[in-house]
Amino acid sequence: MPGLHYTISAKSGVGALALQNWESGFHVDSTASQPAAFRSDLRQQVRAAPSWFRGRQGRRLREMLLAYSFLAPAFIIIGLFGLFPLAFAAYESTLRGLNKIVGSYDGLGNYVKAVDNLIYIITFWIAAALIYFAVQAFVRAFQEQRQEKTKPLPWLMPGFLTAAGAALFTRFVFILLPEMLLIPSKLRGQANTQEAFRALVVETWWLPKVQIALWIAILVLAAGSVWALLINRRMPTSSRERIYFMPFFNAGICLIGSAALTWFTWTEISAAYTAALEEGVELELWSQIVTISAGFLLLLLAWRLWESASGRSSNTGVALRLVGAVGLMAGAWVLIAELPRVVAAGDEDWWNGLMATVFYVLGTVPIQLGLALILAALLFQKIRGQTLFRVLYFLPYVAPFVGTAAVFRIIFSNRPTAPLNSLLDLFGAEPLLWLSEPAGIIQMITGGNIDLGPILSGPSLALVAIMIYGTWTYVGFDTVIFLAGLGAIPNELYEVADIDGAGGWAQFRHVTLPLLSPTIYFLSLYAVIGTFKAFNHIFVLRQAAALGTTDTASIVIFQAFKRDTRYGYASALAILLLLIIMVITLVNNRIASRRVFYG
Amino acid sequence: MNSKRMWMLATLLVAALVLAACPAPAAQAPAAMEEEAPAGEAMDEGPCAPAADGPLAGIDPRGQTIVWWHQHRGSREEKLAVIVEDFNTNNECGIVLDAQNQGGYNDIRDKVNASTASGEQPASLIVGYQNDQAFYQLNGVLADFDTYIDDSTWGFSAEERDDFFASFMEQGVHPVFDSQRLGFPPNRSMEVLYYNQTWLKEMGFAGPPTTPEEFEAMACAGAEANGDGTGGYILRDDASAMASWTFALGGDVLNEDNTGYVYNGQATIDAMTMLKRMFDNGCAYFFTEGYPNPEFAARRASFTQGSSSGLPFYANDMVTIAEEQGRDMDVWGVTAIPHTTENPVQNIYGADVMITAGPPEQELAAWLFIKWFTTPEVQARWVEASNYFPTRAGTEAHLTGYVEENPQYGEALALLGYGAYEPQLISYQAVRDAAETAFNEIMQGADIQATLDALTDTANELQEELMGEVE
Amino acid sequence: MANETLAGGAFRLRQADPATRRAALNQAIIYTVLIIGAAFAILPFLYTVSVSLMNLTEATGGRALPSTPQWTNYTEAWHDAQFSLYFMNSVKITLISVGGAVVFCALAAYAFAQMEFPGKSFLFTLLLSTLMLPEAITWVPNFITVSWLGRISPIPWINNWPSLTIPFMASAFGIFLLRQFFQQIPRELWDSAQIDGSGHLRYLITVVLPLSTAAVMTLVLFGFVGAWNALAWPILVTTSSDWRPISYGLLVFLDEAGALLHLQMAGAIITMLPIVVLYFFTQRHFIEGIATTGLKG
Repeated sequence: MPGLHYTISAKSGVGALALQNWESGFHVDSTASQPAAFRSDLRQQVRAAPSWFRGRQGRRLREMLLAYSFLAPAFIIIGLFGLFPLAFAAYESTLRGLNKIVGSYDGLGNYVKAVDNLIYIITFWIAAALIYFAVQAFVRAFQEQRQEKTKPLPWLMPGFLTAAGAALFTRFVFILLPEMLLIPSKLRGQANTQEAFRALVVETWWLPKVQIALWIAILVLAAGSVWALLINRRMPTSSRERIYFMPFFNAGICLIGSAALTWFTWTEISAAYTAALEEGVELELWSQIVTISAGFLLLLLAWRLWESASGRSSNTGVALRLVGAVGLMAGAWVLIAELPRVVAAGDEDWWNGLMATVFYVLGTVPIQLGLALILAALLFQKIRGQTLFRVLYFLPYVAPFVGTAAVFRIIFSNRPTAPLNSLLDLFGAEPLLWLSEPAGIIQMITGGNIDLGPILSGPSLALVAIMIYGTWTYVGFDTVIFLAGLGAIPNELYEVADIDGAGGWAQFRHVTLPLLSPTIYFLSLYAVIGTFKAFNHIFVLRQAAALGTTDTASIVIFQAFKRDTRYGYASALAILLLLIIMVITLVNNRIASRRVFYG
Repeated sequence: MNSKRMWMLATLLVAALVLAACPAPAAQAPAAMEEEAPAGEAMDEGPCAPAADGPLAGIDPRGQTIVWWHQHRGSREEKLAVIVEDFNTNNECGIVLDAQNQGGYNDIRDKVNASTASGEQPASLIVGYQNDQAFYQLNGVLADFDTYIDDSTWGFSAEERDDFFASFMEQGVHPVFDSQRLGFPPNRSMEVLYYNQTWLKEMGFAGPPTTPEEFEAMACAGAEANGDGTGGYILRDDASAMASWTFALGGDVLNEDNTGYVYNGQATIDAMTMLKRMFDNGCAYFFTEGYPNPEFAARRASFTQGSSSGLPFYANDMVTIAEEQGRDMDVWGVTAIPHTTENPVQNIYGADVMITAGPPEQELAAWLFIKWFTTPEVQARWVEASNYFPTRAGTEAHLTGYVEENPQYGEALALLGYGAYEPQLISYQAVRDAAETAFNEIMQGADIQATLDALTDTANELQEELMGEVE
Repeated sequence: MANETLAGGAFRLRQADPATRRAALNQAIIYTVLIIGAAFAILPFLYTVSVSLMNLTEATGGRALPSTPQWTNYTEAWHDAQFSLYFMNSVKITLISVGGAVVFCALAAYAFAQMEFPGKSFLFTLLLSTLMLPEAITWVPNFITVSWLGRISPIPWINNWPSLTIPFMASAFGIFLLRQFFQQIPRELWDSAQIDGSGHLRYLITVVLPLSTAAVMTLVLFGFVGAWNALAWPILVTTSSDWRPISYGLLVFLDEAGALLHLQMAGAIITMLPIVVLYFFTQRHFIEGIATTGLKG
């Protein structure tokens, strides 16, 4: 069985290779002055290495294995403390039960509780998007093939096989996970010793279904990767042959994911129908799915038209734009007609929490980043007191938030004699309730005569006060990172710009901003993700008097998880929040891929 | 040069790892290294020998080490340590108790739940409220106290048992879980009204209020005296305060069969109407940015309301601020929540201790500590150290000296007989938050009846929703 | 002139003669903006310092400044909060986790930025997705992980250093941050390094890291702040004072000090001082990048 043999030799290669690289890295130092001598030395070394690692393809393989060994330590830790919670949350979200890690299976029940029928639409669209991604990967591969006259097709099967292997491995994780999570309850009532625990772990590991799932996954994965290695081996070393492994792997993952999701949703929908039939209730599910999906589709099409129109300057472009706008409005109208009903059927706290979250993100991220960019640009100048300013701006981020929260509670107090209210008094204004004010700020500015509804009246003053607190804290954080980014811009570029006679603003616009774009991209992404799940600053300043207007999504999740120990429901909410952040990240990446410039 | 820096960093890391690894306490495998008592030994007779019969027959608590997770901090923790030390050196079973602070009640709860989820053995003794007990028992984490209380060898005698206030003992009994006794009361606190006697006298009142009308008049007089929005009563939006007022006006927040909430009874409506009126008239105000005690001590409030466990903090602040302001300290005291009932009805609450299910020897050892800890003499010491209230009548005999020195404590102690209790339903934590919001809604001008109706519905829905998740 | 060009930065001011006056004006504007900004940044902070020096009456009476500074508040807070007990724990925890984070994040970030391997974007997306889960959800699964690892490894993890440090030795944040900087390093440098016979690891240590001092120092700083101020997780995984960090000391103290606002503030300032001092003495490294190493030579 050659397959098995190859995997083993490839695996043992990793360690040997890393070592070799260490050695060659340092050993070569003395001969560096004699490149010719060194090259022959290198050739000898390569000859000594197993034949797999020779030649152009071999170098590629070596680099790959070395890269994986660089990633390994970080990914082991992140896998344990980042990916495992993700898998845990995904698994928990399908269960119900109070203070139960392994509760009873409830399918999409938790999601339905949170967002009602909207969850079916969401899963349907995720499935559709996955198919779209798969098709896109295919199309790109074949376009490239036409241009470069290379053969992608041999890579199809190994790519798909490995994808299937990865999917099977995920399946294995979700088979093993519940069994493992049952160990604590088995342990209760008997002597809770290390030995007993280890025995249970071993017992669970050797369960037939776990082992079968594991070996199926390993075999398929091994078959896929060995196949890929063989093709890689066969490729002529001289030609500019390209590797099409990843596109097909991605396409495979997307297709399998889509199929699994569709099957899962379908069983859930049928179950919901049967349940409704038994209770004699009519289920409006399909009509809702169709209308809302149609709305989204129209919006998408309208947006596409708009995009394509922006590329043209002729009259047809303008006409297309108009058509797009009409489509957009029609889509929005259909949405508006149906969405509120779905929203009303879901968890009110959750929707309010999402709204507060969106307010919080929109209210903090742009201001925070804008201020930080200005400050960093200014602090990077040669000015007196640079050090002092840098330290001062950094203080808010360093201060323990339990301490600063106490100060901000005093500053934003509702007492007429509190700092901010005294300031208002100086200007002859009425004192405000600040952290105790549940009214929306736009509502307050307009005098509160017209009821603007929850969305238009804006975030409550209490939430705005918390936003100020959050911004105050994180501007220093962003500034430090911006400063580091500015430091990475080579000075030669400014010299060149100087010679070209570019002014201060022109330099900023054409040198600083493009070269700072990786930092801007990083910070905007990180800030959006961070604010979407912001918790501490909100939690320490929230007051009952704000009537829940300061409870963002993460607060709602916290309460469900910690206060009520509804692990399943809280996990479902967390997964929904994760989906939202992910979509925003994808959009952000799309935009960034055009604008971010790496040296 | 720069690579040197990196190497230094790496060396530092290694050094730190070594540094960390060395003083690591020799593996504290929980309960793994029990003393191997020679099995099958013939009946031993010494002190603390295992019982010969009954459900606990043959279980030997001797030489056990047990851990207690509690929330006592600072001076309370220090004084508790002295008491525990006394137990460790003098108990004839050779039990060693390790009392560890684990943060607040919520931290303990998180820890117990996380331990349950991971199969880690939690401490043998834990502190927590009654609704926590229900959460824990969903996973069968707790042991039933009745096994130990009723045991002929290790349990209470009839007199001992009757010495405990029956109502405190009842709180830990859970009908949902076969009426198991999951908690045991080591101490209690109660919701009281703090008043400034000197100031009341200056304003022409004889003493603390007993009825809501008197209370309102006095608070308004205080507000008028200060004239800057302070001086009256500091509103407390906590659900315990809402329950206290409901009790004092002759109502309850639980329905008759203790399965749901009633927040829209006449008593609650009356109480909220009065508080809202006081707030509108400036006789009551919100102070949300810190604790109310310094406000009270600085004469910015004539009345505050809160747990009696705050007594030492009030006492401390009264002395400090009077000193700093260079005046004589006001005479102050605590009294029952002003009531329309004939006798006061006081909201009494407090965390229980629980024994977690584990090896029977550990459970028994934990019980023996609790039994010792609640003997009148020890409870009196603990009560003096902590300012909590005792849970058995016999303790009061040992407290006479302390009450003389601490008149406020004595005033509150006298109210101990008039207890009423907040709900122990599984949803109570969530309902507390909802009640707090409703309180604020009312103060911000929402219709009282409608808000309380809505609160009652929300509370019962929450209960239903959470119970719906319990199979 | 040349010197100034080197020292200048983002959008520097032209020093040409006709513009000298405008430059002066620009300087004035810069200082005004910086001072106003700094005022906003530190006013709440100055208030903290001010309160920390008051007595109880002043602290709760809404005064802006103490009549006579009560320096004893600091000694009292130091003793009451038992900071000396927790200080060393925090130092140990911070050193271990930050040291590990720098090594592991730099390796992974380098692979993402400068190496080719299949699954790069897939793994990177996976990495980013770990950032997106609300923290409240992660506590229980992570507790399960450390508890189980402790029971199958020779040393316990709970109430010991591994549970407090190892989870923080690699983070998507750190890898992402370093990757952004590593990616900006010109490919030509790698090509020439290869001609010199340098392997990836050597190139990373001798070229990439020194060029990214600013980014690495930023990572160290944030790791430091994070480890220093971490609270919820350390409480969950420690049961005794052996490994509890200074933030726990502060929390216990805040609780015990209760209404004693002045002592609370003093405690808060004591806990943050080490980081401020650290930042003060290292801050010049934060902008030390390509600008000072003069690679082209």
